[in-house]
Amino acid sequence: MSDKRLTFKKRLHILKHHYRGKKMAPAFNAFHTFLFAPNETTHSGSHVRVADDLKRAMNTVIMALIPVLLFSFFNTGYQHYSAINGFPQAFSIWDHFLTWENFWLGFKLVMPLVVVSYGVGLLIEFIFAVIKGHEVEEGYLVTGMLVPLIVPVDTPLWMLAVAVVFGVVIGKEVFGGTGMNILNPALTIRAFLFFAYPTWMSGDKVWVHGAVERTGTPDAISGETILGYLAQNGSYEYSLSDMFFGFIPGSVGETSTFLILLGGLFLIFSKIASWRIMVSAVIGSLVMGLIFNGVVDAGWISTGSKFYGLMSFEFWQHLLVGGLAFGIVYMATDPVTGAQTNRGKWIYGFLIGFISVMIRVFNPAYPEGVFLAILLMNVFAPTIDHYVVRGNVRRRMKRLKHATILPKDTEQAEVPKVETV
Amino acid sequence: MLEHVELFFKSIFIDNMVFAVFLGMCSYLAVSKKVATAVGLGAAVIFVLAVTVPLNWLLDQYLLQDGALAWLGPEYADYNLSFLSFILFIATIATMVQLVEIVVEKFSPALYNSLGIFLPLIAVNCAILGGSLFMQAREIPTLGLAFNYGVSSGIGWFLAILAIAAIREKIRYSNVPAPLRGLGITFIITGLMGIGFQSFGGMLTGGDDGAAAEEETTAQKIEEVQKEEKEEIDENAVSYTDEALNANP
Repeated sequence: MSDKRLTFKKRLHILKHHYRGKKMAPAFNAFHTFLFAPNETTHSGSHVRVADDLKRAMNTVIMALIPVLLFSFFNTGYQHYSAINGFPQAFSIWDHFLTWENFWLGFKLVMPLVVVSYGVGLLIEFIFAVIKGHEVEEGYLVTGMLVPLIVPVDTPLWMLAVAVVFGVVIGKEVFGGTGMNILNPALTIRAFLFFAYPTWMSGDKVWVHGAVERTGTPDAISGETILGYLAQNGSYEYSLSDMFFGFIPGSVGETSTFLILLGGLFLIFSKIASWRIMVSAVIGSLVMGLIFNGVVDAGWISTGSKFYGLMSFEFWQHLLVGGLAFGIVYMATDPVTGAQTNRGKWIYGFLIGFISVMIRVFNPAYPEGVFLAILLMNVFAPTIDHYVVRGNVRRRMKRLKHATILPKDTEQAEVPKVETV
Repeated sequence: MLEHVELFFKSIFIDNMVFAVFLGMCSYLAVSKKVATAVGLGAAVIFVLAVTVPLNWLLDQYLLQDGALAWLGPEYADYNLSFLSFILFIATIATMVQLVEIVVEKFSPALYNSLGIFLPLIAVNCAILGGSLFMQAREIPTLGLAFNYGVSSGIGWFLAILAIAAIREKIRYSNVPAPLRGLGITFIITGLMGIGFQSFGGMLTGGDDGAAAEEETTAQKIEEVQKEEKEEIDENAVSYTDEALNANP
């Protein structure tokens, strides 16, 4: 090793010094921070000394998402090959699911989504950082990972790119970047895709790779989700364990409730996500599910009604299908767009679960109501916080009014003492 | 009873004055800087709508509609005064707003001061006139339902301005790019909030088989329109070719 050969780290360091104070500085600083440990310390103002900075918080969420992503590779392949060759009679995880074939197909299909999402999103972040002259923020790291997991697998890459541009620019950068946005950027991207290209985002053909291309041919396959079957009052042939472990069609990463549960526990344990939001959202969805089950049991609704299939669906099974679990664990708990106060978090989470199941049942156009419910509650989160804070202020004012005498007395008692001394 | 509940939730969430039909935007954008003021204006809008919609319903029913004057005598039965609805509705609304202004000035001078010019402006708030006109267009059958419609669409507007006021208070310290500060970012937020409210779009469309039927009819309509357009184009093409032929015999 001669001294003339510089390591990549050294080169980056030199570049950083070279560009210090110039326009492109944030770009090199971001690379340095992302690839290596940052060597900067806070230099102004009062600050809290903790180990979990933004980068670590983001990385923790990504770690919680990695199992879901890996699972999605296998599930994409499994759904595709099973739809073509028929579902295996005796399902065995090693023979039918965790195969190299499944993984490779899923990898080929999902990785481009991840790459486009990160590539386009980070490019915009870099451009904005350079123009506005601030450091590149880590906020997009989680968004970029969430986006490919909440879209159907056959989403064309250019659509994803357009949606990412919309979501990052309109959803986040116009508000001033990470930490300032009103709506969750990942959900803004999903909503943009949903409303701009509805044929690619809903229906019975988009959830399994190849189903769209094969429509109308003798090889046609169906990729209907469980919620889709229920919305048509149809029946499905997936067992409860299939639903729980995620061997069902759906958006790329939303299917495995089991892995999402593990990820959620990890996030709660590492104190990154709020357990209050998760618990109250689960309670909210269960309550709404119970209400609908009650309506069916009371006989207020006939079996011919178009709501019957979803209303009679067991209340707790709502958590196993569709994106509800994924949304509750990874999206609703977004610390920026969610409610900030503890009491507010309970209300916010409860309403997310409640409205999600309500939209699922009542809105035949959107069986996937979760992302819309979270967006709606993002809109109302500041209102909830405002009133929680006002309520607290009012309570303390009242307490102050009732407890006036004591401090004055002690003061008056002390004052003459000082004089005597 | 059920129709009351349905109309109530429908006008608050599904046909929200701000996010579904984009009415009443001027005061919605201008008075949403602080939550307290927004609540005051929202309450005023609820009150005015709750009074004017039933009043205008009575006017519509007994004065304006085709044949509404039949109660005066059989010779008046075929009068149709509905061309007067705009003038009469606006007159009712202006009177009511004056009344609200007097009441607010008397009982809450602070609110009166903070509302400033915007309280008289409610008179020309399109949400208020829109409420009356929607009531007329949707042929709301009873006085009770008209009152319900006024209150609930007012609550929908109230919720919208409350939410945006809270959001604007929250983003007060955000680093919004200079050209977008103020109204620009408010428009963007309104659009994003509209996406959030889309969650209710299409919900409850007409009970058991209404949705499917409606979808079919809209699809059919679209097809018909497309066919008509095609035919028109064809006809035009034909006439053009005829003209061309006539021009060059």
